[in-house]
Amino acid sequence: MHLPDGLMHPALAALGWLVALAGLWMTHRRLRKKLDDRELPLMGLLAAGLFVAQMLNFPVGGGTSGHLLGAALATFLLGPLRAVVVMAVVLGVQGLFFGDGGVTAFGLNLLNMGLVGIGMAWLALKWLPLRIEARVFVAGWLAVFTGALLCALELGVSHWLSGGDYGIAFRIALPAMLGWHALIGIGEGAISAAAVAYISQAAPDMLPPHAQREVAS
Amino acid sequence: MRVLASLVREPRWRGTLVAVLLLFALGLVGFYRFAADLGDGLEVTMEEAGIEEGEPVWSAPLGYGDNYAASLLWGVLGFALVLGLTTGYGRLLRKREHPDS
Repeated sequence: MHLPDGLMHPALAALGWLVALAGLWMTHRRLRKKLDDRELPLMGLLAAGLFVAQMLNFPVGGGTSGHLLGAALATFLLGPLRAVVVMAVVLGVQGLFFGDGGVTAFGLNLLNMGLVGIGMAWLALKWLPLRIEARVFVAGWLAVFTGALLCALELGVSHWLSGGDYGIAFRIALPAMLGWHALIGIGEGAISAAAVAYISQAAPDMLPPHAQREVAS
Repeated sequence: MRVLASLVREPRWRGTLVAVLLLFALGLVGFYRFAADLGDGLEVTMEEAGIEEGEPVWSAPLGYGDNYAASLLWGVLGFALVLGLTTGYGRLLRKREHPDS
């Protein structure tokens, strides 16, 4: 779901950058009083792990593949503020150094795959009355699906604003993006839930305090 | 550097680091076997709409490689880069807020 350069209307890409910068600034401001040195190894390893995980596409049928985004997993393990940093570094390195995702589209990519997914995952993790693994599964699916929905809407708006020079018409973008990402989201949810189940068994002290209490009870 | 040193020194983090890299090396086998030729959800949607990816504005110096060995190498390099940048940001933030730490 990494948007390349030149696909979106420039005005929308600029708006994406503004929203992303505002999100990063707010995260930075709120995080600077809270971050602890002891959290950095997990934050760094998770970010680096998500970078390599995003290289590993898996088939979802119909000649299409998907890969883990990791927004829900990062939100569960680190909380939303640290998850924003993790996703921003991963997407920034992918775009700047590896050409995965356009530099002009970085703002929209961070919005779609980072900020929105993290927000949705955070809500699902906080409010759903389910077991930890089930909550993480739903959070992962929601993060991917809502990111894809937003991406499809951006493609449609770009197409409409530019009279067809940019983006993709709503009638193509919405069903295709939502259909494929409903499937990819299942993979996201399953991998995230499996990772949490494994950590709960092998290294429960890596879980956030509330989850440690749930696992212990 | 202190954080990176603790990743190598502390068995728990060292074990996690090795496990993630091993999983990546194994996962790449599956990727090249089953998914390397498949487009992702957005790429397939662009194909359906008859849109080809244009020239990038910024020419990235690296890539993911097109065979197992190259992808493994670039993946490990990206892993190190992301690890360094994330922990580096955290350390900078901590130093600015708590210069004595």
